[in-house]
Parts: sequence; structure tokens; C-alpha cells
Amino acid sequence: MLEIGMVLLMGVFAWLTIHSHLLRLSVVYMAIFSLLAAFVFVFHGAPELAIAEAVIGSGLVTLLYLVALQRYRVYTICVASDRHSEALSDSYIKGMENNEIVHRIRRFCMSREFEPEIVFSSKSVKEAMSDSRYDLVITHENGETHVYGPSNSYVIVELELMFQMDGANSGIRFGRYTREGL
Amino acid sequence: MAERSLITQMIVGLLYPFMLLLGFYLILNGHYTPGGGFQGGSTFAMLFVARYVVFPVADMSSEHLHLLQRLFLALILVVPILVLFSGFLAGASEYSGMYLTLMDLFIGVQVGFGLGVAVFRFAFFKGIGPSWRF
Repeated sequence: MLEIGMVLLMGVFAWLTIHSHLLRLSVVYMAIFSLLAAFVFVFHGAPELAIAEAVIGSGLVTLLYLVALQRYRVYTICVASDRHSEALSDSYIKGMENNEIVHRIRRFCMSREFEPEIVFSSKSVKEAMSDSRYDLVITHENGETHVYGPSNSYVIVELELMFQMDGANSGIRFGRYTREGL
Repeated sequence: MAERSLITQMIVGLLYPFMLLLGFYLILNGHYTPGGGFQGGSTFAMLFVARYVVFPVADMSSEHLHLLQRLFLALILVVPILVLFSGFLAGASEYSGMYLTLMDLFIGVQVGFGLGVAVFRFAFFKGIGPSWRF
């Protein structure tokens, strides 16, 4: 009974590993999958294999995947909103999170294997541009979204092209800036 | 590199001796109970991994670890040749358990250093470096 439950759970975690949107979550699901596999090995009378599976499958391999993921870039998007009176309120952040353009940029990052990370900041656009932690700066004013990217980055070019090709470039303007001291 | 969290440091520091103990337990009882050289050795490798998780600094030379690993690999090859071909065990079969446990210990340490070196080299790989041999 317990064994059937564990095998079914293994199937669930295998499905989750394949279908989760974040690779980091996939790694965690795979570690749980390995641990369940170790339990199933115990039920089938192979305790030696179970020890090896538990140590290597959910320990070493998980760490190797996590190290590899650390290499993989986190793309930090800054939403600069100093001109909004209700900036950084919950309703504003929720509205921006559900924004169609932000959604499209997020999907673009996922397809390029970047991990998109959106930061809401009360800085002005100029301050956000000069901060080297941010790779892309977005502002939203008068119903128009402005996207600024560093001029030496190919991502902003590809983003502009994607919006043009999808015909979704109404209400969005792209800008480029050069960062001093780089 | 990831920032160092105090919680992870404390917990890994607490678990460190127990991991070492578990590794030795798995190796030394491997002949009689589940466990053995490879399983215990992987547990030893987890020590290096745990150290990397809390302190990701390349201050330990992987060349030295690799040298130790090759030394134990040589022992694994040499000791059975000396013991088995000299016919020592044929006359004293009560020592066979001890001999197998010793071999398990060698295999465990060799696997531990080998996997540790593999993890370190993967974690600190910068794209270029000395060409590593077996």
C-alpha cells in the first residue's frame, strides 16, 4: 500500500519536474523524486542501492545542478516608479505584475534561459540606469511603457524585434543608455 | 557567490561530525550490514559538498586531493595483489572479514576524494585551467 503510494508520488514529482516553470524548482522536485526512489528500493529489498541513491541522487547531483544554475544568469528588471503617487503600493505592484508587457518580457527571458527577477524601486529612472545591478529599466507613465536597456546589450534589440513582430508595440517605447564607468 | 546564511552555517556545522560518523559506520559495517565502500565514500564526498555550500571559497587545492585519491587508488590495486597472491588469507581465514573491511575503507576514502575533487572542479571551473589527467 505504502509502496504503491510512493510509486504514484514519484510519478507526480516526475511530472512536476518536467512541467515546472523555474529550473530551480525542477531541481528540488528531482531531489524529492530521488528520495522517494530510495524508499522504493528499500521496499524491494535493496538497501545498499537505497543508500547510494539517497546520497548521490538527492545530495551530490542536486548540488551539481544548483551550481550549474548559479552560472545561469539572473536577469534583473527594475521597475522605476518615482513619479507615481501610489508607487510601491500593493495595487500598483499587482497591476504591474499582471501587465501584458511585463508578461511578455518575462516569457522572453524564460525562452532565453534567463531567470527574470523583477525589482520594484522608488528610484528615478536616471538612478536606476546608473545602478549596475539592473539589466533593464521599465517605467510606466501616462499609459505608455518605456523600456530602457544598456546600449551594449543585445537583449534590448531582440526585445524590440519581438514586440514588433508580434504587433504588440503600441504603447511601448524603447530607449538605450550607456552606463558611465563601464 | 551566494551570501552566507548563518542558519545554514550553524546547521551544517552541527551535522558535520554526524556525517563523518555515518560515513565511517557505512564503511566499517559494510561487510555485514547494508553499506560499503562506495556508499560510505559518497557520504564522505558530501562533507566536501557541505563545506562548499557554507564556504564557497577555493582555498583547498584540488591537486592535493587528487594526489590523495590516486594514492588510495594505487593502494586498492596493490594491497589485494600482495595479500591474495602471497596466500596469506588461505592459511588464516579468520582474517578475511578484516581484509574486506580494510579494502572497503580504501575504496571509501578513494571514492570520497574522487567525488569531492569532481565537485570542486565543477564548482570552481572558470572555463580555462590546467589540463587535468586521470
